[in-house]
Amino acid sequence: MKQFYDFKIEKIKNLSSKDKNLRKKNLEVFNKNGFPNKKDEDWKFTDLNKILSQNFKNIVNKDFSLKNKKLELIKEFEHNYISLLNGKLISSNFSYEEKNKISLENYNYNNKIIFDKKNSLNFLNDALATGGFSLEISKNYKLNKPLVIYNHFSNSLKETIVNYKNLIILNENSKLNLINYVNESIQENFMVNTIENIKIKKNSSLSNIFINNSKCNGYFYKYIQSNLEKNSNFENYLFSSGLKFNKIDIVVNFNEEHSKSSIFSALNLNNNEHQEIKTRINHNSPHCQSFQKIKDVLSDESKGVYQGKIFVKNNAQKTDAYQLSRALILDGNAEFDAKPELEIYADDVKCSHGSTSGSIDLNSIHYLKTRGIPEKEAYKMLINGFLIETLEKLAEGKLKNFLIKKLERQINGY
Amino acid sequence: MLHIKNLEATIDKKHILKGLNLSIKPGEVHAIMGPNGSGKSTLANVLSGKTGYETKGQIQYNGESLNDLSTEERAQKGIFLAFQYPLEIPGVNTNIFLRTSLNSVLKAKGEKELDTLTFLKLIKEKAAELGIDEKFLSRQLNVGFSGGEKKKNEILQMKLLQPKLSILDETDSGLDIDALRIVADGVNSYKNTENAFLIITHYQRLLDYIKPDYVHVLSNGKIVKTGSADLGMQLEKTGYKNLI
Repeated sequence: MKQFYDFKIEKIKNLSSKDKNLRKKNLEVFNKNGFPNKKDEDWKFTDLNKILSQNFKNIVNKDFSLKNKKLELIKEFEHNYISLLNGKLISSNFSYEEKNKISLENYNYNNKIIFDKKNSLNFLNDALATGGFSLEISKNYKLNKPLVIYNHFSNSLKETIVNYKNLIILNENSKLNLINYVNESIQENFMVNTIENIKIKKNSSLSNIFINNSKCNGYFYKYIQSNLEKNSNFENYLFSSGLKFNKIDIVVNFNEEHSKSSIFSALNLNNNEHQEIKTRINHNSPHCQSFQKIKDVLSDESKGVYQGKIFVKNNAQKTDAYQLSRALILDGNAEFDAKPELEIYADDVKCSHGSTSGSIDLNSIHYLKTRGIPEKEAYKMLINGFLIETLEKLAEGKLKNFLIKKLERQINGY
Repeated sequence: MLHIKNLEATIDKKHILKGLNLSIKPGEVHAIMGPNGSGKSTLANVLSGKTGYETKGQIQYNGESLNDLSTEERAQKGIFLAFQYPLEIPGVNTNIFLRTSLNSVLKAKGEKELDTLTFLKLIKEKAAELGIDEKFLSRQLNVGFSGGEKKKNEILQMKLLQPKLSILDETDSGLDIDALRIVADGVNSYKNTENAFLIITHYQRLLDYIKPDYVHVLSNGKIVKTGSADLGMQLEKTGYKNLI
């Protein structure tokens, strides 16, 4: 296969020679393995190498200079924000909060990030990453308003890869609602490769929402490694429809007792869009609960993949783990692949999983049509009903209404 | 209003309706009775435009051939089917469904669609008439509703859409006596000289509450006997066997 990428550490400015050498080693590891393909169990259903080779001529890395970008703020609900351009922090606003309770800085590359040593994209990130942020919430501080991360990408990203790292720390007894928002309609192909480490300390709660407002030709991969202390809560809502390719790879480590984690996803994919959710929930401690509900609606030649693993260590008694994936397949050429996995070494646990895929219920369509509702509208109602259910557990309010509207927009088309 | 001539219907190679004739005029209430498997529900499905049936013969509705109309167009032109088994639709809020339905019909008629507030006021009134708790309207459509609640919801939809021809398919099945009375009152209060009803039922019971002008007996895909309301009562005593 023809080489379709060319990455150079030299393009990154201001590196110490030690840093340069480390990065070179990481790049060597990547170059040896290349982009993942189906031989890799974590990419069982997807040959990323092939997909990229068919869509890119020569992917390169660049050193991005900081530019200001005019922000188009979400008006539907009051919020704090961080704005990133090509992964670099360009502005932030915490006007609803006590300033000294929140620390936000550029990501400090002297810190060691935790990543998967079998993951070649992680190595690529560790070789090339430049941007990203570190966000830390003080002990006993619960943010008054949600925090939106505006992810902007410039038009000059054609055939370029963006790599960055984020670190998010919630100290004891703190609370944060985070919304990862992409509102770009870039037609050129580009890649974004992110590693994020999340630490949720005792009695703290993080809600992490991914929502997109447009379609763009980005190929996104995000690896999230989260570590939860006692009595903490980590919720994820993945509504990332609209990207050409997206894989969200979440690791949840229950390191102490009585914590909870949930992952809800609702995706409506069409054309040849491709989205994957990979989860690994490590129940390393007793009395923790994990819940996953993944829903995909697939049209045209789109593809949805869910690889969900629940691991229960021998001491993690009273674990309560649940996972369900459901797909509605609207066209013969669309595809859904699911690989649910349970690996359990404790004997007093409650674990269940299920996966279904099928077509839309034509009797339900008929019922709606007998009420004068046009067929197209009837399909939309059923799709919407199917997906919206993933929002059931979210508290009522402006944010939820905003998400419902955005989901409807994703279903109705842009 | 409705003229059915020599209607035949086949599904999955099963020939179900075998030359059915029926005429309904505005203001009339017709009942179709018949044993299981005689084709009652098939008739309802075919009239509603359900796909999957191969049909022959003519169905004229207000001078227009129904064959050319889609299900939603039939509904927009005033044909309403109350289902024997109303479908549960998860994730679809009942109120939003009802408003979408009403506005689709209004839009097709070229009338002004209702805004949320006007709609809520209207639906509140209609629900109260049928003794439907408002809370039902904010629930998912028919999900977890009892048999009686589902049927009341069908009648609510009928009263909301104000159809010209209402087809009630086994609306009495699964109803207790109180729910039956409410459903029948709903129908009787909506009945006028402009609209018509086709009541499909297995038993006479519903006809004690909704008085039909004509009773037809359907057997083996054809109407084999037509009479007045007395025919229903006679059937209740003697059963279908003696007639067929």
